Amino acid sequence: MLKFLKQVGDYTKEAVQAAKYIGQGLSVTFDHMQRRPVTVQYPYEKLIPSERFRGRIHFEFDKCIACEVCVRVCPINLPVVDWEFNKETKKKKLNHYSIDFGVCIFCGNCVEYCPTNCLSMTEEYELATYDRHELNYDNVALGRLPYSVTHSDPMVTPIRELAYLPKGVLSGHDVPEGTRRAGKLPEEILEEMEAASKSAETK
Amino acid sequence: MSSGIDLQGSFIQILEGLGLPHGVAKVVWIPLPMVIIVGAVTVLALVSTWLERKISAAAQQRIGPEYMGPLGMLVPVADVVKLLFKENMLPAKTDPWLFVLAPILVFIPVFLSYLIVPFGQNLVITNLSVGVFLWISLSSIAPIGLLMAGYASNNKYSLLGGLRAAAQSISYEIPLALAVLAVVMMSNSLSTIDIVAQQADYGILSWNVWRQPVGFLIFWIAALAEAERMPFDLPEAEEELVAGYQTEYGAVRFMLFYAGSYANLVLSCFLIAVLYLGGWESPIPVSLLASWLGVSESTAWLQVITASLGIVMTLFKTYLMIFIAILLRWTVPRVRIDQLLDLGWKFLLPVSLVNLLLTAGLKLAFPVAFGG
Repeated sequence: MLKFLKQVGDYTKEAVQAAKYIGQGLSVTFDHMQRRPVTVQYPYEKLIPSERFRGRIHFEFDKCIACEVCVRVCPINLPVVDWEFNKETKKKKLNHYSIDFGVCIFCGNCVEYCPTNCLSMTEEYELATYDRHELNYDNVALGRLPYSVTHSDPMVTPIRELAYLPKGVLSGHDVPEGTRRAGKLPEEILEEMEAASKSAETK
Repeated sequence: MSSGIDLQGSFIQILEGLGLPHGVAKVVWIPLPMVIIVGAVTVLALVSTWLERKISAAAQQRIGPEYMGPLGMLVPVADVVKLLFKENMLPAKTDPWLFVLAPILVFIPVFLSYLIVPFGQNLVITNLSVGVFLWISLSSIAPIGLLMAGYASNNKYSLLGGLRAAAQSISYEIPLALAVLAVVMMSNSLSTIDIVAQQADYGILSWNVWRQPVGFLIFWIAALAEAERMPFDLPEAEEELVAGYQTEYGAVRFMLFYAGSYANLVLSCFLIAVLYLGGWESPIPVSLLASWLGVSESTAWLQVITASLGIVMTLFKTYLMIFIAILLRWTVPRVRIDQLLDLGWKFLLPVSLVNLLLTAGLKLAFPVAFGG
């Protein structure tokens, strides 16, 4: 009989505990209802891509020396470099250059290793097409000015990401333009480091 | 207790004043409340689908539908129009009769049950003396339809979903009925009107929640299970069963299931309001306020106010419960089928039996407080 009563007691305790947890959960859900929506109303609002964002690759035809380093460092040897040797100048002459963004994984190795900096990352990420072959960009397409969230379209409201908001602000919606983000900017960190190294040298 | 407004009586009187015989006037009246209720229920179900979207969005810090009408209020209309214009498909090797019949069999009992939902002393289609019993018996038709849908679809997911739906509905009907029985015992009547009238005396203090807290919880859990709401939505568990018994359905037939499930949720919340939250009664009784202000209860404008306040009160309580149901959906994870049956048979059933016995004992011991 005692054992049975203990079982009943334990069972009741468990039921009460379960009810308590459900109540706690409900209060959490209820609390979330009063928070501001995190929604970004794409395509009317767009998040500004972070610095070091790896978007579509930009290519400057005139800078390229056709060394093919980009092909060698590419995980799948993607860039197609079409060049011929010019016997008079004894230099390689670039005819065509193309990258297929349907296959590219945007790892950025080519940008990293390009000796003449003719490759660079942009913040363009809206690459959708109706046909995957349209993603095969030739040197003309690669050289086009990239789309920019902040400058290209007056209909688009650029919204800052969480890491770029002033201290204590959680929503990028009503931040006045030009307010400083929390923490030091990269250029300031660089300046400080340079100043520190200079003072170390003079000592 | 005043009888409030007698809509039927005054309508028939007006028609008779226009020169119609009494019988004809009555015949003209009969379809009116039914049409109004069917329309109102459809609107209420549509509103709850909109609420479901909006509240779900808010709980997840999203915005939800916004561009279709003000605050996305036209989304349900768009849903209905889309489903109406879709082609009615019959998948290969289905049982055509059962397949077509199933959604109707799920849909009609739910709408029939609204016969007994009161919005005021006289604002009810029929004041049946077996009102609540009618609802319980009608709600046990739905699992047959669900099972038929699952069986006829010629699809394993559908069959599993249908079987789960049947098992769930049958096992949760028992605690539901037992919880209702305790209320019925206290109010000495199965009629929804009498059950509300018995809770009318002291405003919010005389509501059945205070006398039946355990019964209220049991009823709520069982009603959620009956309506296949989130913690108990195993029959349509989308991660496991695609959409359960609805998988093969589309267009109007799917709409019947969809409308049926939301109408069922609204119905359950209506009955919670009626059985436990004092139905159309406001927290402070209107008659008390009227006597403080020195207004006679039979004043015409006071009766109009009482009637409209009753409708507002019923809807408010109902939608409060719907709100909690939607919030629960984003709070509680889905239970497994064995946990579901465990909860139904090993927890709710004994607890509801004990609750019934306790109520009976308390009724004998304190007939004043527990309706002797």
